[in-house]
Amino acid sequence: MKLRLSPQTLLVLDAFLDHAEDWKYGYDLSRVTGLKSGTLYPILMRMAERKLLETEWEQGEPGKPPRHMYRFTPEGLQFARANAGAHVRRGLGQVALGLVEG
Amino acid sequence: MGAPRTLAARLLRAVVRLVPEESRDWALAMLHELDFIEGDWAAFFWALGSTSAILRHVASVSRAWSKQKRSQEAGMNNTGKKVLGVGLGILSALALVGCLFAGLRITGILFPGLGLEHSRWAYWLAVMAIPESIFVVATILLWRKKGPIAAGILATGLAMALHIGVHLALR
Repeated sequence: MKLRLSPQTLLVLDAFLDHAEDWKYGYDLSRVTGLKSGTLYPILMRMAERKLLETEWEQGEPGKPPRHMYRFTPEGLQFARANAGAHVRRGLGQVALGLVEG
Repeated sequence: MGAPRTLAARLLRAVVRLVPEESRDWALAMLHELDFIEGDWAAFFWALGSTSAILRHVASVSRAWSKQKRSQEAGMNNTGKKVLGVGLGILSALALVGCLFAGLRITGILFPGLGLEHSRWAYWLAVMAIPESIFVVATILLWRKKGPIAAGILATGLAMALHIGVHLALR
């Protein structure tokens, strides 16, 4: 169950960890993480392919199309918790190596 | 609905129609999100990004599919080659035994004075000792480079040894 932990992937994992049991929508995730759809969706697809995410169609209100929702699977939650704060650790490492200014 | 949003919806609808089944759910998900995006230009850029994401997904699915197909074909070819090799080994071994046996009979007929027709030792030598020795040497020499052929030869040698063992035990 390998997933490349790019800074963008870590942002998505963090967004899912916030109220992890709730279903989340693509556009909301895009706003929370600041990622464009072209970056966000490939990450969601990879996570779903690796069974880290479960997906479902929400039966929306009449006149509105059904929305695709995403939520961690138990394996996904475990994976995210194991990697939570990885970007913080990475950031600290960069500071320690003098890669980040200020 | 402004022009950029209309264009975005058209683009994503076209993508939904054109993408293969494996990517369609994702394309639909991106299309349906359009209705919840505030701002026409935001919707337009959402559609552009989504299209690029879905095209990359289609490409990666196709790559995975062709890779799987190639490995399946390679697997089938390998199995076919191995079976052919084992068959060739068995045939070679049987041909060798047949030649030795025929050579012994012909020698017996051509040179009756040698008494090979009635010599049990000559038969043991031709049918058992010489072929089995050749099988062992051939198996050792071929094992690394021509494994399946070596396995065929070895299997024939073992079958013959077993046959002779049973024959001796029954007598």
